Amino acid sequence: MTPHDITKLIVRTSMKDRGAFDLLYRQTSAKLFGVCLRVLRDRAEAEEALQDVYVKIWTKADRFAVSDLSPISWLVAVARNHAIDKLRSRRASGAPIDQAVEVADPKPGPETVAVMTSERRRIDACLDELDGERAAAVRGAYLSGESYAELATRHGVPLNTMRTWLRRSLLKLRDCLER
Amino acid sequence: MSAADDNGRELTGDDALAADYVLGALDGDDRRAAARRIETEPGFARLVERWEEHMAPLAAGYEPVEPPAAVKSALDQRLFAASGGATTPRKAAAPAGGLWQSLAVWRGIAAAAIAGLVLVLAVPLLAPPPADEPAGRLVASLAPQESNVHYFVVYDASTRDIGLSHVTGERDSGRDFELWVIEGDTPPASLGVIPAGSTVHLAVGEALRRKIEAGAVFAISLEPAGGSPSGQPTGPVVAAGNLREI
Repeated sequence: MTPHDITKLIVRTSMKDRGAFDLLYRQTSAKLFGVCLRVLRDRAEAEEALQDVYVKIWTKADRFAVSDLSPISWLVAVARNHAIDKLRSRRASGAPIDQAVEVADPKPGPETVAVMTSERRRIDACLDELDGERAAAVRGAYLSGESYAELATRHGVPLNTMRTWLRRSLLKLRDCLER
Repeated sequence: MSAADDNGRELTGDDALAADYVLGALDGDDRRAAARRIETEPGFARLVERWEEHMAPLAAGYEPVEPPAAVKSALDQRLFAASGGATTPRKAAAPAGGLWQSLAVWRGIAAAAIAGLVLVLAVPLLAPPPADEPAGRLVASLAPQESNVHYFVVYDASTRDIGLSHVTGERDSGRDFELWVIEGDTPPASLGVIPAGSTVHLAVGEALRRKIEAGAVFAISLEPAGGSPSGQPTGPVVAAGNLREI
């Protein structure tokens, strides 16, 4: 499956082509389940979130056509935004935070969906321009979807410091990516 | 942890908020407020999408994990059980309201997506259509008529759905584009006002379906905001084209 194939499946899904939707699910659900698991750190919740995500993809696939994101990036954004929303509402409702499910820490593993290799090299090069701790914090914040308050607690710094620190890292990252 | 090496520049205002949102670091209330702005403020939505593009490669850090098969069964149950077929629980008519408005915040169609759409139309279907499916897909390129307004229209007979992709051409402020279907000498029938910069779907009723499948012409006219007050085109036709079977 190339990004172009995924594009075709999303466009056909927007035309309510169920065969295309099924194939899209087969090709992309492992990646999106990985997103839900990493953010929610709870298997049952992640499974439910994954269903919600594909309901959104089925009903909102037409939005992809007007996005500049690559197809996988668009799908990941749908999944990630939904999982983070669920994470926030769970914490707001006072449910247990850490039903620690072992989810592998992110490491540069082989990508099964062959996408983004050149973009990825670029961002890796740009992250290398940040110092190691900052690059790790940006990656960790992005992957986990933790709030500034949670990140500040974990890093043992005041919230404003954490926010300033990450925003400056993002600014440098963007400057580098736009060079 | 010092920020002393940062030349004193800061992300500020909406740009900072968009970055915070995409990073996923906003708390619940701020995140919900930002999400609402994405739906209602095109400028803010663009900032968010730019940050999504910048940060997208970080998603390579998500390790794929195969979900249990039960998830797909439950999903199919949710989406398709009621209809028992290939139709959707959310009829394509739903865009009248929230979806149209929210779609309107997304920016003009990406060239790549158009290429994808054209290819989709040109390649054989991966899954064979159901045997009882009526005529297949019809496509029209609504070419500029003394304007630079260009749209693609795709009509899917199996779902009676019209997909409309904006290619080029902006409306004047305070004016709207309205889509019409014209069969022979009969008066044009309105399919509604077209939201700005978007891909949208319109449901097709029985009367319009017959017109379309009989080989009607689509046209887009420039109308006062909100659409023609009379129910018939009042402004110039800016784009038009015939449907062709593919």
